[in-house]
Amino acid sequence: MNDTRRFGDVAVGDELPALSRTVTREDVKAYADASGDQNPLHQDDDFARSVGFPGIIAHGMLTMAHLESCVVRWLGDPSGLLRMRVGFRAAVLVGDVIVAGGRVRELDPVTRTAVLHLWVRLDRDGVTEHAIRRGEATVRLA
Amino acid sequence: MNRALEGKVYPAIGFTVSSGQVDRFSLVVGDDGSFVPPIFVTAAEVAATAQVLADPDLGLDFARVIHSEQEYEWRRPIAVGDELAAAPRIASIRSKGGHEFLTIETEMRDASGEPVVLARNVLIVRARV
Repeated sequence: MNDTRRFGDVAVGDELPALSRTVTREDVKAYADASGDQNPLHQDDDFARSVGFPGIIAHGMLTMAHLESCVVRWLGDPSGLLRMRVGFRAAVLVGDVIVAGGRVRELDPVTRTAVLHLWVRLDRDGVTEHAIRRGEATVRLA
Repeated sequence: MNRALEGKVYPAIGFTVSSGQVDRFSLVVGDDGSFVPPIFVTAAEVAATAQVLADPDLGLDFARVIHSEQEYEWRRPIAVGDELAAAPRIASIRSKGGHEFLTIETEMRDASGEPVVLARNVLIVRARV
């Protein structure tokens, strides 16, 4: 990891570098094994179809973990992540390209913390959807 | 779901942060493995909340469950070797528009009893169609 990003180098409105990845079936299986979440919704196409999806969907938590990685890369130090909250919207399907991003919303010079506004977007058939919208994190800067 | 279970606290589940599992998790997430991703605590949360989802008194129809919201508050960084005790509690059960909302809060403490993480997980049980 790099050094922690310095409070004086950050301004309200700064954008975090976008972080994108393609979600594969192998990724979803690997996440199930690494996290212990073996819900069939993420492994069994027939089950997923029976509850209204076109096939298996990625764990919401895999999408949140991708967003967390985006935040920690920008922050430079994982110990500076104090709080993170997300709401899940569009389901992420196998083959989707998810793009995590964020923007600095508030800065507190007393605690040297920042509040980030966060999202994960995906393009499907030319339409931009949100897998996560109105996400939020509080981070401690150096 | 059985609203009478609001406030129910479940036994703490022991969870050891192992380098092998952290490595597998980091690989999936795309991190370089030089640190424990803060969000690795999901693994402990999954282990602890399984007993809530499977509680026959709760009456959760798992086939209709989707994840709605998730929040973590970290009190300190996670390290390999941490022995966590993760105790889930049913914070609320609500109904709205035919859907039901289950909020589970999981408090994780270390071996000396100090708080490490608070996880808050909101599940939607979708209306029958």
